[in-house]
Amino acid sequence: MKIVTLKQLVSMSLFALAVALLPATSFAELPVPSHVIPPVGEHAGEDVPQPIEFPHDRHVKDMKINCMYCHTYARRSKVAGIPPTSKCMGCHKVIATDKPRIQALTKYWEKGESPRWKKVHDVPDYVHFTHEKHIRKFVFDADFPVEDVQQVCGLCHGEVREMTVAEKTKPLNMGFCQRCHEANGGPADCWSCHK
Amino acid sequence: MSVKVNRRKFLKMLGWGGAGTALAGCDMPTTVTLEEGKEEVVSYLMPEEYVIPGIGVWYASTCTQCEAACGLHGRVREGRVLKLEGSPDSPVNHGNTCMMGQSGLQSHYNPDRITMPMMRKSGTLQAVSWDDAMAELSKRIGPSSSVDGNRVGMVTGTVSGHQAVLVNDLLGQLGSKNHYVHELVNSSVWRMVSRDMLGDETPKLNFDKARVVLSFGADFMGTWGSPVHNMGEYAKFRKGDERGTLVQIEPKMTMTGANADLWLPANPGTEGALALGIANFIISRGWNLVDVPSRVRETLKQYDLDTVEKVTGINVEKIKRIAALLSERSPSLILAGASVENHENGYDSVAAIMLLNLIMGNVGNTIEASAKFAESSMQPKQGGTKDLLLLAKALNGKKLDVLFTYNTNPVFTAPDVLQLQTGLANVGFKVAFSMFPDETTLSADLVLPIHSGMEEWGTHVPAYQSEGAIMSFQQPLMEPINKDTRGFGDIMLSLLKLRGKDYAKFEDYYSFVQTSLLNMPSSIVTSTGSKEETWNSILQTGIIKTKGVTKPLKPKLVDMRYKPSAGNSEYPMHLVPTAKLGMWDGRHANLPWIQEAPDQIAKVVWGSWAELHPKKAAELGVKNGDYVRVTSASGSVEAQVYVHKGIHPDAIAVPVGQGHEEYGRYAKGRGVNPLKILNPLMEKRTGELATYATRVKVTNVHKTSKLVKMGSSEVQAGRKIVRTVSSSVYRRTEREG
Repeated sequence: MKIVTLKQLVSMSLFALAVALLPATSFAELPVPSHVIPPVGEHAGEDVPQPIEFPHDRHVKDMKINCMYCHTYARRSKVAGIPPTSKCMGCHKVIATDKPRIQALTKYWEKGESPRWKKVHDVPDYVHFTHEKHIRKFVFDADFPVEDVQQVCGLCHGEVREMTVAEKTKPLNMGFCQRCHEANGGPADCWSCHK
Repeated sequence: MSVKVNRRKFLKMLGWGGAGTALAGCDMPTTVTLEEGKEEVVSYLMPEEYVIPGIGVWYASTCTQCEAACGLHGRVREGRVLKLEGSPDSPVNHGNTCMMGQSGLQSHYNPDRITMPMMRKSGTLQAVSWDDAMAELSKRIGPSSSVDGNRVGMVTGTVSGHQAVLVNDLLGQLGSKNHYVHELVNSSVWRMVSRDMLGDETPKLNFDKARVVLSFGADFMGTWGSPVHNMGEYAKFRKGDERGTLVQIEPKMTMTGANADLWLPANPGTEGALALGIANFIISRGWNLVDVPSRVRETLKQYDLDTVEKVTGINVEKIKRIAALLSERSPSLILAGASVENHENGYDSVAAIMLLNLIMGNVGNTIEASAKFAESSMQPKQGGTKDLLLLAKALNGKKLDVLFTYNTNPVFTAPDVLQLQTGLANVGFKVAFSMFPDETTLSADLVLPIHSGMEEWGTHVPAYQSEGAIMSFQQPLMEPINKDTRGFGDIMLSLLKLRGKDYAKFEDYYSFVQTSLLNMPSSIVTSTGSKEETWNSILQTGIIKTKGVTKPLKPKLVDMRYKPSAGNSEYPMHLVPTAKLGMWDGRHANLPWIQEAPDQIAKVVWGSWAELHPKKAAELGVKNGDYVRVTSASGSVEAQVYVHKGIHPDAIAVPVGQGHEEYGRYAKGRGVNPLKILNPLMEKRTGELATYATRVKVTNVHKTSKLVKMGSSEVQAGRKIVRTVSSSVYRRTEREG
């Protein structure tokens, strides 16, 4: 059995409390695009320590960088893709080079390696999910402004602009997918996703 | 309480209950969500422009699952090869693959691959470093060793292209002439007859021009020649303006036989007499399009219809019908395969069959000269079973001190009586180039783990050339999975560098192949464009079109010494050790997809069986699933019976490929190996092992268990799942209407 320290217990209860309060507070802040009926469901994600504590908030909220600037494959492929290390270094060769996290990243770059990130969002292998089709439907085909794409991403990934490293805040299970497909006219055939 | 649930009830329950349970399960976090932070995801450091994670890139290469050299396209995603398909650019397979090609991935990703060099130390194989392995090789065959070239041997499967050059050069450098090329699935006897009677070992066969194909045991869609190519040609033959007619004569129904319009089992070993009987009847009626000398007419006269019926067991009317078919629907294509070739009279039977092609005017029509690759050192060295016999003789005669093995498993395929395993003990130093711990590899003293076909560069010249002479190019589809495997070509280069300077300028096999391909003389290729363009085109298509040399066919008759095989009262039955597409000679027994794929005829999976005719089964008192013992003068095996009408009543067919004593978790200890009980009989004129000549007796051992097979019933029980009409009804209602 896993032994839980007092400190962990307290933080876990605080976290649970925070999660219970979440729908009323922070998630309401990200506007829901008017052409989408949002999928219903919340998930209390675990803290996933990453090799480098990447600050999504700094990039998204403060610097106003578009999700698809880094996750560039989302509109082209089934996976959104972790940005290639060369992309990080494109900016961080000159920006914030005094910060320890950037120095850690630079070390990886100089060794010719990419950080081994831990996967946070995933669906099982028997589910065929594609980012490309969802972005096409909710952004490009809907003439939704690309600069606001985080509202669409947020439907499944939650309020990433408030996170440092990504946390899973939506269940991403079949019920979650299925309800959204029903509400927004997504395919209902078993083999659209299970193929 | 027990509730009986039949299929119908089960489906009903599934219908009512399934919907509810499925929906309730949608939000179950324990079963349908994944744990966070357990798997890693690593980005590219600096991706190539065309690489998009999640989207595959297709690369051209060559299949190495059998020796046909089909072109492949492999889908590569995130640095891993995920799917293989046939290359549409290859004239061998025209975009198609067979099940062996598809399951190439399971060979590549196989969990039983050897990952480290191993050396025998105090009786057992132990992992060593490559440095130690190469040091040992240098000590044994290097310039300062006392190795005697005459006592060095190498046994391989079919090799061609640059591999053939390296094998030849290494043996030449050591002063050895002992290259044994062994393939259990072969058409050696057909090739020898073609060479002698047509002047071309592998003539081009135009199935599409033929109106009748008469095949004496040639499973051309399964194991004969270039199967994937033949399947495509067969489709043209069937789907032309006029549907071609296929007649198959063989002791046990093969996949090709199952497609035939007329399937006949002649008494095993008498197929030659049938061919001569047909020839005699055709000539006596004056239906032949090409005449034969009078001495041949005289010989043929012995084969009158009644005699032939008595010898072959084929009814006179049927023989007449086949002869009439050949005459009415000329041109035809008449082939001979394993069940005819591999008897003691194999050569003469095939010669009799080839005679039919000659007299029916097929030569120059459906049988044409093929183009050969212009550089002879790169032409395929095709194997058979003759070299297996020669190898066994050399081993037991203590003629070899060093033996290299590559891409063949003679310890598995050799009959027990050849005592190959004992003979191997006489060889002081055995080196195995191998991906898997098979029987031959595990009896070696030094095991060198090699790359899979998807990790290595290479070139292959197909033995059967259908459109000019091509060379098929093999490029790696991904980085090697294991860091301690090496390419066969790279190891051969290192060995060649031990003693000579010829190869010193090549850093690795890749540079050797590339340099050689880009500097091919104009006698082989017409070069257009720069070297870079040429290389890119090779990488993109995987095919190198060459000029090729075509010599016209020179038909001639060979001296005929045909004799049907004699009876045997102690061992009344014929053992038919069939190979099939999939398992092949047993090399694919370690691939779960191949084990799982039902046999084309018996539908059995994951094991061995023995096919028996219903009459014989009734005589022995056995039914499906009962065990019988098959005993020859050289040993016995036990297998479960599968009762089937598609077999000669005096034959028992046990498939080849199972019964591995080693070869990884999927193959080891599964089924039986009928090759082990073969008698050491030789095809008289070619020296091939007569694998179909062994006589056996079959006894009921009164033991039974469930035969694991797909499909429980062979009949439709009146449900008309597949509707059929008899040919007479069809003629009356469809044709003339």
